[in-house]
Amino acid sequence: MSEDLKIMEHEPLVRDRYIPEKFQFLGKRGVSRMDGVEKAGGTAQYTRDVNLPGMLFCKILASPYANALVKSVDTTKAEAVPGVRAVLRFDDPELEGKVLLGTNTKFNAGHQASDGQAFYNGKEELAVTQEQWIQGGGRVLDGFAWWEGAPSGVAIAAESLQAAEEAIRLVEVEWEERPVVMNPIESLKPGAPAAIPELNEKSNLLRKVRIEHGDVEKGFQEADKVIQFDIRRRPYTAADGEPMSNVILWRGDNLEIWAHQQQPYDGKCLLSAVTGIPLNKIKLHIPWQGCHFGHGGNPFMHHTHGFHVISAILSKRTGRPVKTLYNRRENFYGLSQDADSNTHFKVGFQDDGTITAVKIDQIVAKMGQYGIDHFEDNTRIPNLLLNYVEAQTNFAPAWWFRCEQNHNSFCFSAVFAHVADATGLDPTEVALKNDGVEGKDMEYLSKFKKDHGFPDRDSLAECIEKGKAAIDWDNKWHEPGKKVLPNGKLHGIGFTWDHEWDDNRGSASAGLIMHADGTVDILAQKPDDGVNPMGTNCEIVAEEMGLKLEDVNWRFFEETGFQMMTPDGSCNLCTDAYVSLKMARKAKKTLLEYATTTLKLIEIEYPPVFPDHKPEELDVKDSMVFVKADPENSAHVSEIVKRATLNQNGSQAPLFEWAYHRQGRYGCEDGRHRLCRQGYFAEVEVDPDTGQVDIKKIVNVNDVGKALSPETCEGQQYGGAYMAAGRVMGEEVIYDPKTGVKLNANLVDYKVATFRDIGETENILVETGMGYGPYGLVGIGEDCATVVPFVVANAIHNAIGEWVDDHPATPNKVIQAIQKAKEKGVY
Amino acid sequence: MANVEEQGGAKLVTFQINGDEHHLVVEPQETLREILQDRIGLTGVKEMCDRGACGSCTVIMDGRPVLSCMILGIECDGHPIETIEQLNSQEHPLIQAYADNHAMQCGYCTPGFVITAKALLDRNPDPSEEDITTALEGNICRCGTYPAHIWAVQEAAKKLKA
Repeated sequence: MSEDLKIMEHEPLVRDRYIPEKFQFLGKRGVSRMDGVEKAGGTAQYTRDVNLPGMLFCKILASPYANALVKSVDTTKAEAVPGVRAVLRFDDPELEGKVLLGTNTKFNAGHQASDGQAFYNGKEELAVTQEQWIQGGGRVLDGFAWWEGAPSGVAIAAESLQAAEEAIRLVEVEWEERPVVMNPIESLKPGAPAAIPELNEKSNLLRKVRIEHGDVEKGFQEADKVIQFDIRRRPYTAADGEPMSNVILWRGDNLEIWAHQQQPYDGKCLLSAVTGIPLNKIKLHIPWQGCHFGHGGNPFMHHTHGFHVISAILSKRTGRPVKTLYNRRENFYGLSQDADSNTHFKVGFQDDGTITAVKIDQIVAKMGQYGIDHFEDNTRIPNLLLNYVEAQTNFAPAWWFRCEQNHNSFCFSAVFAHVADATGLDPTEVALKNDGVEGKDMEYLSKFKKDHGFPDRDSLAECIEKGKAAIDWDNKWHEPGKKVLPNGKLHGIGFTWDHEWDDNRGSASAGLIMHADGTVDILAQKPDDGVNPMGTNCEIVAEEMGLKLEDVNWRFFEETGFQMMTPDGSCNLCTDAYVSLKMARKAKKTLLEYATTTLKLIEIEYPPVFPDHKPEELDVKDSMVFVKADPENSAHVSEIVKRATLNQNGSQAPLFEWAYHRQGRYGCEDGRHRLCRQGYFAEVEVDPDTGQVDIKKIVNVNDVGKALSPETCEGQQYGGAYMAAGRVMGEEVIYDPKTGVKLNANLVDYKVATFRDIGETENILVETGMGYGPYGLVGIGEDCATVVPFVVANAIHNAIGEWVDDHPATPNKVIQAIQKAKEKGVY
Repeated sequence: MANVEEQGGAKLVTFQINGDEHHLVVEPQETLREILQDRIGLTGVKEMCDRGACGSCTVIMDGRPVLSCMILGIECDGHPIETIEQLNSQEHPLIQAYADNHAMQCGYCTPGFVITAKALLDRNPDPSEEDITTALEGNICRCGTYPAHIWAVQEAAKKLKA
């Protein structure tokens, strides 16, 4: 308590409140999904479904090699395929300067310092130039490949997909194969082949980061015990539902684009940046999005602008719309960050579970997210040191997906679980012992909450209490490796925790218009990536204006702007909901002014409906404006606005508002302490003969501040749990170590979790109101899929008495760990 | 193959889809999914895995759910086919039940689940949780909406019985 409270520097801290009695449906159950009938009935159109008159299909050659140079291309046979209309080669002059942009987007710090990362005093050393980072991956169609499957060499547009595929098969390419390096540790050794010679032919080092707080050596000296351990996480991928595609039509000076892209407006910006076509000449269409999980938002990826440019050039040349699409194998080109991460931990702690120091050394392939942030964000641990190294390899490109906190959560869970194991303490006690913020204790955090108007609730304690009851922790938790069930399987139970991080990071704007009949349209680009934002924001507008829910609609406004925070899923509600709230409150104010004020338009005066009242004497409920002191004195909202329309119902009502909101600057800037917590419990049974793990139950406990749509939040809980189950049990993109060729790039061999992979999920929402979003909310979309893998890993340890230190925890690795446990005498 | 007129490598096939007849000349390698989605425009039939692993392209043929990416168009002559568009036009209770129970997120795979559930309810109007799981376990939802499908199908079953 020696330090003064930090005050957020860039945005004023706002603590908004949810008032239950004020709302009829917002924050309550039973509201159907607004997009539900369209999606369930099969009428929702995705980019893959777009089919325009005269449309051509484009396929791009996928490199068969993981590191190779195109020496020559012969397209003679391909051009002879009936139906082929255009061939674009990498050496075409029109591709000159059409670079695959890595960082030159609104995420202008891009890879190195992007949103969502905490950069507390971090020291960073880049091994490539800023210019190289901005260029990213060569041109949108180039004569080299850095990973197997890289779009390169040739693109062909034809009358049918089959003709385009056949033509691509007939392209004759002379490749110069180059040595491949897949392992990030090997790639950093002297003499290792250059993974990307065009970027850096001397070294595979991408960047180094060092972050230090306190003095870890002092912390280790103060510890009763110091432990060290290693964990590896192998590459995994989004395996998203709808394979990547676009449709582009170049007409005169104008482009139209249909984009399957998580941030479609960014796609438009990138297309403009690369082609030089002004933004006001590009018309963006945003069909429904067949899930992304963040993977669809990478500005470095080919699908976010590279193939937009290719489609655009081919459309310009043929005068026809061009659809470029990936097949399922090609869609496997993107990986999670931490494509192959190797982490060494050194942890000091006292016998009572108080952690005194954490040192993390990481070597990560391609792109990662170092694992120190969450110790900064929500512990009182004073001494932290991170040494992080990112190495180039010939893996596919990596990018965050559900989410950039994967490695943070993994490191956080691993450290707490190992300390609990080493001390023999209940892991929930170790968590509570170290809860805090930026090295300071809960007393500090308590004062921070009070000083900023938040309720002073112990979020972690509440999550733990509810979770323990749900899984019967007090009766089921046991010493690792010591409980054999009657069916012969080993019983395990695990716990982990973290903070809720989805509370800021975006900007958004939208318009609101009330029609002559009193119905309202929200005007904004389609923001959906599955998380029901239309329904929730319509609820906000309806409640704030006093309208019936059915009187509010989200009109997808894709012509120019009004970009609500894109289908980012995880944290957009904190941003978008402020926009909806602000413009609804402004619109209601205007509506009540109209109700009480004479409108004069040209020479005509329109008397108000409530001439003898002031706006503050009125209110609106169920789309009826009424006098608060005399509710029987009322009129439908349409009576207010249609007085000002010139042709009765024939023209637009004069009620339009818009709002903009920027929520925070980065993920967790100084003075914006994490207040909400999440806790997870898992119960497993492990077959000691096969290593097979059955997940019997997962309990998700999330303090979301306030759940505006409880069913949507729960969908993120159990939905995230299934993705997490796949991640911990089997998801791995397997590469041939010698050639770098992907061996399981399909949904048969790449195993995602499905119906029977979790016995039961119990989903508990805690609502402390301690979020920075409107109504005290904080997002949830990223949490469960990110943290749950490690609560399952902890439960496996509790079952078998040994750590599986190489993820995913496939049966062969579990068996190896069981063997280790036997050798140690656990059984 | 009955009622099939050969025209070189392609064949004239009569498709009976959602009660309508479609006469199409079909290449031997064309799958039913490609014909339904790309040629007839029934875009509720989705392509996800394209190799029989995900269930997103499911249709009902001869009363049974089948994966249209694994069936050649030339095999379909004379076999009645029902797609999600038929359920939608009939306002089948499953669709509203899916919306009410939030049994979707991005929605890309959802029509495949709904049509599979419809085939289940056709043969078993009162399915248990285990029956529903068995029917739908071949479908992949990357958003992980699995528990909600149980609620939605049970609710639709109740409405159909009422």
